Amino acid sequence: MVTLAIAKQTLEDMLRRKILLVLLIIAVGMIALGPSVGFLSPRESSAVLRSLGLAVILLAGLLITILSGIQVIPTEIERRTIYTVLSKPVQRYEFVLGKFLGGIFTVFVMIAAMGLVFLLVLAWQEKRFDPEMLKGVVLTFFQMTLLGALAIFFSTFATPVVNFFLSFGLFIVGNLSSVTDSLISNKNPATRIMASAVHYIIPNFGNFNLQNKLIHPSVEISNANVFIVQNIVYAVIYSAVLLLLAILVFDKREV
Amino acid sequence: MKASTRRNLGLAVIPLLIATMFLQAAIDPSVREINKGQKTAFQGLSGEFVLGPLLGLQQAVAGLLWVRADEFFHSGDYDAILPIVRMVTWLDPHQLDVYITGAWHLAYNFTDSSERSDRRYIPASQRLLEEGDANNPEIYDIAFELGWQNSDKIKDFARAEYWYRKASTRHGADERGQAKAPVPMFVWHQLAHSLARLGRLEESVDIWKKALAMSEDFVKKNPTDFSRRNVRGSEVHNLELTQKRIFSRYKHELDWEVDAKVGKGVNRETGEPLSRDTFVFVTGSEVSQKQSAYAKAGLSAPAMAVGAPRPPAIEPTWNTAFDARPLFTAPKVLEVKGRFNVGDGARVTVRLHDDSYRTAQLKEFTFDINQDQTLMLDQHSVRAGTFGRKIDMSKDPKMYSFKSNIYYLVFEFNPRATSPFIQDRFGWSGEGMADPKYLWTDSSLQPEVRWIRKVYRITREQVFGGSIPESAVVSNEEYARVMAEPGPAK
Repeated sequence: MVTLAIAKQTLEDMLRRKILLVLLIIAVGMIALGPSVGFLSPRESSAVLRSLGLAVILLAGLLITILSGIQVIPTEIERRTIYTVLSKPVQRYEFVLGKFLGGIFTVFVMIAAMGLVFLLVLAWQEKRFDPEMLKGVVLTFFQMTLLGALAIFFSTFATPVVNFFLSFGLFIVGNLSSVTDSLISNKNPATRIMASAVHYIIPNFGNFNLQNKLIHPSVEISNANVFIVQNIVYAVIYSAVLLLLAILVFDKREV
Repeated sequence: MKASTRRNLGLAVIPLLIATMFLQAAIDPSVREINKGQKTAFQGLSGEFVLGPLLGLQQAVAGLLWVRADEFFHSGDYDAILPIVRMVTWLDPHQLDVYITGAWHLAYNFTDSSERSDRRYIPASQRLLEEGDANNPEIYDIAFELGWQNSDKIKDFARAEYWYRKASTRHGADERGQAKAPVPMFVWHQLAHSLARLGRLEESVDIWKKALAMSEDFVKKNPTDFSRRNVRGSEVHNLELTQKRIFSRYKHELDWEVDAKVGKGVNRETGEPLSRDTFVFVTGSEVSQKQSAYAKAGLSAPAMAVGAPRPPAIEPTWNTAFDARPLFTAPKVLEVKGRFNVGDGARVTVRLHDDSYRTAQLKEFTFDINQDQTLMLDQHSVRAGTFGRKIDMSKDPKMYSFKSNIYYLVFEFNPRATSPFIQDRFGWSGEGMADPKYLWTDSSLQPEVRWIRKVYRITREQVFGGSIPESAVVSNEEYARVMAEPGPAK
């Protein structure tokens, strides 16, 4: 209950932030304008609209997640409001989990809003509802969940600026899954070891990129539903790992 | 938090991390399937476009790059387009237009100062299309483009037939990119044309009949589809024209002017025109003209009379009296004069290349061509029995480096690539051609084809200004043998 109360307060606080709302408005506007750029590729206007919509949701989701994730704990420390909270019967782990959940609820609300507009625009443009695209939106949300957990973990010991570069940097490295996957079969053993370490240990954000299949329906994967479930489980377990580490670090931290 | 709780939480991290590793291994095969055909994000990308792919936005970046390429296209900066084409096809290997446009640039738009294509790029163009086809194996577009390029640019009708046939087994993409729609009828039409170019006439007629049956069926189900009615009309026209041509060239020669006036179609089984007026001798002078043609060719004429069907158009054989005389009037400036008794509109191919030049067989697409190789190809139209012009290669040293010591200079006429009205005299495979010096039969193709070809083997000194003696002429057999040998290892 305490955790949920902190999460609720964090969500309300986040939704009051103008920067996040501005990002949301810009993203929704870009998605709504998507059909007007279909002319850029006459034979593939549908592909342009889909790729633009998914790209905007991903980019806006990325900025919202990082901007909210890097600030939640340091801001409480900076404003000294954390003393008031921790002086009450609130465990530190409840505080960390509450902040994480609050951030994720925020991201959920934002992505849901963008996803809804995207699906409506697509349905209006293609004269039918395509439930497949929902998979892309869902996977983007779980990708952001993992990123949010990473940002919360770093925020327990790093300043917001350092946290921004760490989270963003690891997001980029984690998106290189196709590179690291191909390097695992490299002839050089040192390269193989390095690539394996990066591929299996660093959170693999590239897993969640289903865009190629969603934009080009001719791309087949053996079992798309299993793939999505695997990714959701991956995001949940890896987020749990990062939150456990965040709790352990924050528990020892002097505030 | 108690120390024991902390320890337990720390220990819980390990199995969870191991679980993510197993999950990752399970996810990897699906990720490979999704990214099939895509290159890794770093390969070949300039800095400004690296960030997008790293964030997982390959398709969006590919779209933006393609818009940029379009700007270059309109400003005529073709060189700038190709690297973008490469990037886009790496980022998003399902953009069919990008492969097709890029391959077109490579094959057609790199030219010398006299607008002659740089044919050294054709293997790269073909390879790019093959890569695109492999990445989009359900959709017909790129296979069709390969057929078209082989037919229109390379004049390799066997390869054209191979790709058109492949395209005919595919599907068209619907508005969402899914391969569902049947291939357009022009795929079947081009397949029929390529078979005719190969001299496989029965197969060509069969394809026209098949296409016509498909259209008939479609029009029955969609009687208000006037576009498809037009397609059906063109199929009727092409089927009947092909059959008339087979009849005229190999059975009884048609008078095409009479045929145009009578126009009653043909028997679709035998190819015989429904009106006899089109293929019988009408006057005695026509008969005697034909008899003297046989006598001139040294052949005995068959029995002919007014009212009887004419002999086939390819009989008696027609002496083309071909010859070509080359002269380098200045370094790298070739002047050609020739005679060719075929009729206006035929084209003689002039090709100059290193003795080691062979068409590259690329396993991987690359823009890197061997700049040290020289390959010039020009087409000379025949007017009033003569052909020839000046070919100035001195202005384009990048295309014509002339690094080799020995070259082959080839003058040739391929009856299969020529216009139908020229073929009306010689047949699809040159059966009606005769030439005392330069007739060469290529038996490697079935049915075999009769070419007119004269080949010189010349030296670098001669290219830089010198006459070319007739003693430099080599036999067609020798040239064919040399070209069949593998080129030197690069």
